[in-house]
Amino acid sequence: MTNATGDGARGGGPLVVVCLRVTDLRPEVDPLTGVVTRSAHGAGLSAADEAALERALAIARAWSGRVLAVAAGSPIVEGPLRAAAALGAAVLRVAWPPHDEADGHGAAPGAASAVNAASAVDPEPFGPRAAYLADLAGDTRALAEVLVDAIRTVGEPTLVLCGDLSPDRGTGALPAQLAHALGAAQALGLVSLTPTDDGWLLAERRLDGGRRERLRVPTPAVCSAEAAGLRLRRAALPALLAAGDAPVPAARPTRPAVGAVEVVDVRAYRPRARVVPPPAGATPRDRLLALTGALVAHDPPTIIGPTDAGQAADALVAYLVRNGYLTA
Amino acid sequence: MADEQAPYAGPGTSPGTAVGDRPADVDVIVVGAGPAGAAAALAAARAGASVVLLERGPFPGSKNVYGGVIYGRILDAVLPNWWEEVPVERWVVRRSTMVLTETQALTVDFRTQTWAGPPYNGMTAYRADFDSWLAGKATAAGARLVTSTVATGLLRDAAGRVVGVRTDRTDGELRARVVIAADGVNSFLAKESGLLPKADPKHHTLGVKEVLSLPREVIDERFGLRGQEGLDIEMLGNTRGIPGGGFLYTNSDTVSIGAVLALPGLAAAKVRPEEIIADLKAHPAIAPYLRGATVKEYAAHLIPEGGYDHMPALATDGLLIAGDAAGMTLAAGIWLEGVNFAIGSGLVAGRVAAEAAAAGDASKKRLARYRDELEKQFVLADHKRLRGAPEIILSERIQRRYPGLVADLVESLFTVTNPEPKPGALALLRRAAKRNGVSLRELARDGLRIGKVFR
Repeated sequence: MTNATGDGARGGGPLVVVCLRVTDLRPEVDPLTGVVTRSAHGAGLSAADEAALERALAIARAWSGRVLAVAAGSPIVEGPLRAAAALGAAVLRVAWPPHDEADGHGAAPGAASAVNAASAVDPEPFGPRAAYLADLAGDTRALAEVLVDAIRTVGEPTLVLCGDLSPDRGTGALPAQLAHALGAAQALGLVSLTPTDDGWLLAERRLDGGRRERLRVPTPAVCSAEAAGLRLRRAALPALLAAGDAPVPAARPTRPAVGAVEVVDVRAYRPRARVVPPPAGATPRDRLLALTGALVAHDPPTIIGPTDAGQAADALVAYLVRNGYLTA
Repeated sequence: MADEQAPYAGPGTSPGTAVGDRPADVDVIVVGAGPAGAAAALAAARAGASVVLLERGPFPGSKNVYGGVIYGRILDAVLPNWWEEVPVERWVVRRSTMVLTETQALTVDFRTQTWAGPPYNGMTAYRADFDSWLAGKATAAGARLVTSTVATGLLRDAAGRVVGVRTDRTDGELRARVVIAADGVNSFLAKESGLLPKADPKHHTLGVKEVLSLPREVIDERFGLRGQEGLDIEMLGNTRGIPGGGFLYTNSDTVSIGAVLALPGLAAAKVRPEEIIADLKAHPAIAPYLRGATVKEYAAHLIPEGGYDHMPALATDGLLIAGDAAGMTLAAGIWLEGVNFAIGSGLVAGRVAAEAAAAGDASKKRLARYRDELEKQFVLADHKRLRGAPEIILSERIQRRYPGLVADLVESLFTVTNPEPKPGALALLRRAAKRNGVSLRELARDGLRIGKVFR
C-alpha cells in the first residue's frame, strides 16, 4: 500500500479516524427494471456520515488530537474529502474496489465538494458498474482490512467513527469488521458519543420502549452513530479555497477485493414460488376463510418484560420450543 | 479553518459593507454559476484573470428549473465542436406553434433535418447537466468554483466602489478588482448596488413546468422523432385569459410541459399556476401526447421579460451584472430565448472584467465598455430591435381575443356547410372577428404594429 496524507493527521495527539461513504444520495431507480442510475450530482455523504465527521472533529478537539477522514471509492470521493479537509481533517482516499482508474471513471469530484465540483458528465462516476455492484454484493471484511491498512500508514487510531449505515450498502456491518481488524472495542448504532476526561467515551444507544442505555467505551474503539443531536459546522471560506486546490492523497490497496463470501452473480431477488394446497371447504366462503385464517382463534401476542436479558432469552427459547422450532 | 456557523445565511439588505484598503484576493469574483456566471468565469479565466465562481447550490444547475431550448450558436465561442460533448437531451428538429382555445387548436409545424446534425440549432438539456458542464469549462480554464456558498452582500471601499463580496461562511469576505453579479432574476447584489430597481411585476412572468416521465420510444412514436431528434411546441391561448403561453419540450425520456404567465394577470385571475398546466395537459390537442405519463418533478421560476426598455444599468464602479440579473431574457413572441443571451452577456462581462482588472481600472467609466460591446453583439442588438415586442405580445387582444379569432376562422374555413354555398373568406374573417370582439380596424392596426416590431 502506498500512501501520503496531509500533515494534519501526522501531528501529535490521539488519532480520530472517520470513515466516510460517498454515494449518490438521490439515485434514479427505474420502477420497471430496477436499474439504478447514479449521477455525480447526487454524490455526497449521508446525514449519518456528516454527523460522524462532526463528532470526529469535536472529539479530536476535546482530546487535542487530530482527525483523519478516509473514504474508499473512485476519485469522485475527493469532493467530500476536500470538504472535510476544509474543516481541518487530514484526508485519504482508498482506491476501491481495486480496478484500473486510468479509464477516467469518476475522474472529477462530485457534488459535495464545495470547490471545483463541476465536471463533464461521466456515465459511470462511481467507477465501472460491474465493479461497483460486485462491491455492494460482497461482504465488508476485505474493505475493512484495506481501510485499516490505510489508516495504520498514518498512525494507530484511538477512535474510528462511522455513520450507522450507508445509503447504498446499508448493512451497517463495516464498523464491526473494522473493530475486528483493529482489535478494538466497538459500540454501534449510537445516538450520542461524548469524550470524558479520563480518555474513555460515554455513549448512548436506543433501546425499545423509548429507553436508552449508557455505555462507557474504552479506547481504542470503533463507534457508529446516527445523525442525531448535532449541528454541523461549515468550513470557513479561506479554508475552502485552500482545500479546493489541494491534491487528495490516494492509497492503493494491495489486497484483493474478495472477502469471506464469493459473489458469482448479482441479480434482483426473486423468491421461489411456493405451492399452496387448495383450501378445504364446501363453499367459496369456507375456502376463503380456510385460506386466510380469518375467524380462527390465535394466541394473542405475549408481552415479556421489562425483564433482564437472561429471562428474555429464556422466554424466547421457550416460545420456540413450544411452537416446534427448537427441540427441548 | 472551521468555526461556528455563520449566524445568517441569506442575502444582505444593507447598502454594502465598507472595508479598508486590503489588496484584492482575486481579479474577478463571479456570483452565480448559471450560464451567465459560468460563461463570465470562463471568459475571465481565459483572459488570464484569477477568478472565483461562487454558487449557492451544491453544484451548478442544482436548481434545474429551466425547461426550454438552448440555442447553441453562442457556444461556438466557448468550444469548437461543442456538440460532441455537451450533455444534450435532444436536438430540436421540429418547431411547432399552437394557437389554442378550450376546444380548438391550430398548429403551424416546421421541421428540418438541417437541425439534426452539426452545427445544430437548438437542444433540450437538463440544466443540472448543462450548467455543470459549462462551469467545468470555466474551472478547466483556471476558475475556482465554490459551491454551497451564498454571497450575502457587497464590500465597498471608502469611496463606495464595489471591491468584493461577503458570503455566509466564516471569514467569508472575498475581495476582487471586479465583481460580476450573475445571481439570477432576483439578483440581491444588483439590487444592493442600486443598479437593479425594485422588481416590477409588470415586467416579470412566472414560468411553471412539470417534467413528465415517458419511455423514450413512446416519445419518439408520439412526436414523430428518431434518435436524438426533439420537438419544441410553443402555445398561445388556453391560459384562462392570463397573458402568457404554454410550452412543451421533449427530453430523452421525459417531456417538459408548462406555462409562462404574466404576474399581474395571474394575480388578478386568482388561479394557481398548476391549474393552468393541468388545463394544458388536459387539452384535446395535448392530452394524447401525454397519456400514461407520470410527474417526475415540478418547478417555478420568475422570468424577466421587460426587454430593452426596462433593462437596468449594467455597470457601476467595480461591478457588472449579467444574464437574468440584467434582464437579458428575450421574450418576443416566436422568439423565447434566455440561455444564449445569458452566455453571450457573461462572455462579454468576463472579458471586460479581466481587461479592467489587468489595467487596474474598474471604474464605472471603464466598465461601460461592457454595454458598448453588448450593443454591437446580438445580445443588446436583438433586444433593441425587438424592444416593442413584449408589450404587444402580452397585449390583451393578442392574448385573449386573437387565439379564438384565428381558431374560429380556420374552423369555419374547414367546416363544410352544404347545402349552403361556401361563404367568402372575408365574410368568415368578419364573423370570427365579431364573435371574438375584434374590429377589423383593430386587426389592421395590430398587424401594422406587429409588422413594425418584427420588420
